[in-house]
Amino acid sequence: MIRFENVSFAYEANPEKLSLDDVSFEIGDGQCVLVTGESGCGKSTIIRLINGLIPEFYPGERKGKIYIDNDEITEKEIYDFVGKIGTVFQNPRAQFFNVDTTGELAFGLENLAVSEDEILKKIDKTVEIFHIEKLMDKSIFNLSGGEKQKIACASVDVLDPSIILLDEPSANLDYDAMNKLRDVICEWKNQGKTIIIAEHRISYICDIVDRVIYMENGKNISDWSKDEFSCFDEAECERYGLRSLKRTSPIKLAQDKNAYETDDNVKDIQEDKVYKTDKADNDRYIILKDFKFAYSGKNYVLDISKMHIKREKVTAIIGENGIGKTTFMECLCGIKKNKGILISDGKEYNYKKRLKEIFMVMQDPNHQLFTESVLDEVLISMPDEDVKKARQILKEVDLVEYEKRHPMSLSGGQKQRVAIACAIASKRPIILMDEPTSGLDKKHMLEVADILNKLKTAGRTIITVTHDSEFIENCCDDIKLLK
Amino acid sequence: MGTYKSLLDPRTKLLLVFVEATFVLATMGGESMELFRIIFTVVPFMLLISSKRYKTCIIGLMVLFITWALEYIAYPHMSGMLSYLMLAVITVVTRFLPAYLMGSYVIQTTTVSEFKAAMDKMHVTDKLTIPMCVMFRFFPTVREEKDSINAAMRMRGIAFGGGKVSKMLEYRIVPIISCSAKIGEELSASALTRGLGKTNRRTNICKIGFGIWDYIVFIFVAVTVIYWIYGVFR
Repeated sequence: MIRFENVSFAYEANPEKLSLDDVSFEIGDGQCVLVTGESGCGKSTIIRLINGLIPEFYPGERKGKIYIDNDEITEKEIYDFVGKIGTVFQNPRAQFFNVDTTGELAFGLENLAVSEDEILKKIDKTVEIFHIEKLMDKSIFNLSGGEKQKIACASVDVLDPSIILLDEPSANLDYDAMNKLRDVICEWKNQGKTIIIAEHRISYICDIVDRVIYMENGKNISDWSKDEFSCFDEAECERYGLRSLKRTSPIKLAQDKNAYETDDNVKDIQEDKVYKTDKADNDRYIILKDFKFAYSGKNYVLDISKMHIKREKVTAIIGENGIGKTTFMECLCGIKKNKGILISDGKEYNYKKRLKEIFMVMQDPNHQLFTESVLDEVLISMPDEDVKKARQILKEVDLVEYEKRHPMSLSGGQKQRVAIACAIASKRPIILMDEPTSGLDKKHMLEVADILNKLKTAGRTIITVTHDSEFIENCCDDIKLLK
Repeated sequence: MGTYKSLLDPRTKLLLVFVEATFVLATMGGESMELFRIIFTVVPFMLLISSKRYKTCIIGLMVLFITWALEYIAYPHMSGMLSYLMLAVITVVTRFLPAYLMGSYVIQTTTVSEFKAAMDKMHVTDKLTIPMCVMFRFFPTVREEKDSINAAMRMRGIAFGGGKVSKMLEYRIVPIISCSAKIGEELSASALTRGLGKTNRRTNICKIGFGIWDYIVFIFVAVTVIYWIYGVFR
């Protein structure tokens, strides 16, 4: 049992703003609860209060009382909950202490000084339940995002906690990996564990949760039961700013709609029929030829002999986690040396030339922001620095009031918009985006879609890697499936 | 990162790093140890081959041969400033390279749990071991971050500071630090919720132990040290 009594909390870094504002609720044993709402609504704060990372790790001022199984948690330390509460975090890259999978599963048990034999027994049990025999004894650097998240879940499961918390676990996962995460959550639910999931992308779990807590500005506005929530339709979700409830695979989207032309991998028989090298086609398409990439020998992770990209449209690149989508983007934009040729307007571009023609907005915008202010960041991207134009661009992406801020001080969504502003400022005709909507709530996802729609009318060609069906429906004109 | 079962025990690897640093890098024992120095220059290359890291091995060998060629072919014909400069380069490369390769071999072939187990067996305090484990865990992560940041700079055409050469370093360092700090924070949060540091005594499923190769290394290191002591007191 978890009980919040009039809990308010403000982080030390920002004492003015209440991250939680007078929140009360009680979650019974064995319940599976979804906590949702816009970014910054206080979802993660609830998770951190329960697992004890607040106040030990994230200091701040708390009012009100929190009970776990009738023990008030103020008197307890984070360590008292190890083995009782397990947490799965958002970023699969940053939650492994070891670099090998088996060591990672053993990690929690080792810390509790469980005997070696016992540890091995418990690991075997978890491995069996999770069907991850193939992932054992591997380096975590060789796993895909979905596999990492599975190991993260397993490393919590070995401790056999009665309460499991998940903080936006699906943010970096593709459709299949989300389904697998759903299976894991179902398994925990069947074992009678209490589960709390803080999440934006609710479609993959909305039918298995017992209850939905909706947060807004740190307040728990609504508390819907399973029956109430199951009556929700898309319009209702829209009203609360929630992501779609529909579980649509992007692959299905590609197959269903005739609007999307898929030449999935070269050997499409229709290729010649559709793309007869007409002169008019030269204006309609950018052609990619011979994109191959191997990390070693002839093991191609990427093997595309021909692909047509519609000019001045948004093309979505889809495919499973770990299929080589990001590698494709890196080859395309020329960061990775490769033999692929891009043909546009009858001119051929090799990887070196492409580096100057293509701008890539990376999945983690932290990697591509360098300067001391947002305005500088845009200025440095321009071929000819022009403050007036730079401000104009910032206005387009809704960042005018932040022009003097340090890019690193902004939120994730804002950083991404700074990167997009740089792409606009660079005047490069082709813009690549690597999973632009991972971890974004509905509002921010729509903002990105909106910007992309404006960009294509302004004559830019956009190619985006994505897992997000809702995003594809909102702005993409074409879908390419990588196999 | 690939295969994990490496030839040597982590403790033997640490011993080798120490030996490389004292006899090759710091040239302890001077002239009389020359033979041992050549052998210890070869050892890291053999270890790299044993762990299938051919690329590092070949690049290292090439650098070493070029430096030797310079030392024996070009250097005798030089004079003045240039010869001093060249001598400096030759000395730095021949001394540092083996130790550097040894270090990279150790980092690439030792897992965090192996390292922890080795330190525990040597009864090193956790106050020292845990920060070192975190560092071990962090090297590959920082390298990944650095690669992404470099790529982004090339893509944005500001690899050389975008016309401001003075900014070249700053533009590179600031994102690396902020990205690493963020990952470090998330890493610690995840480790804390799974009880890192809860008890003083921690178990470890990682089995380490000495094998034939470890003993060969011990004997050889012992011979080296005895020869060195013999040289000092002669």
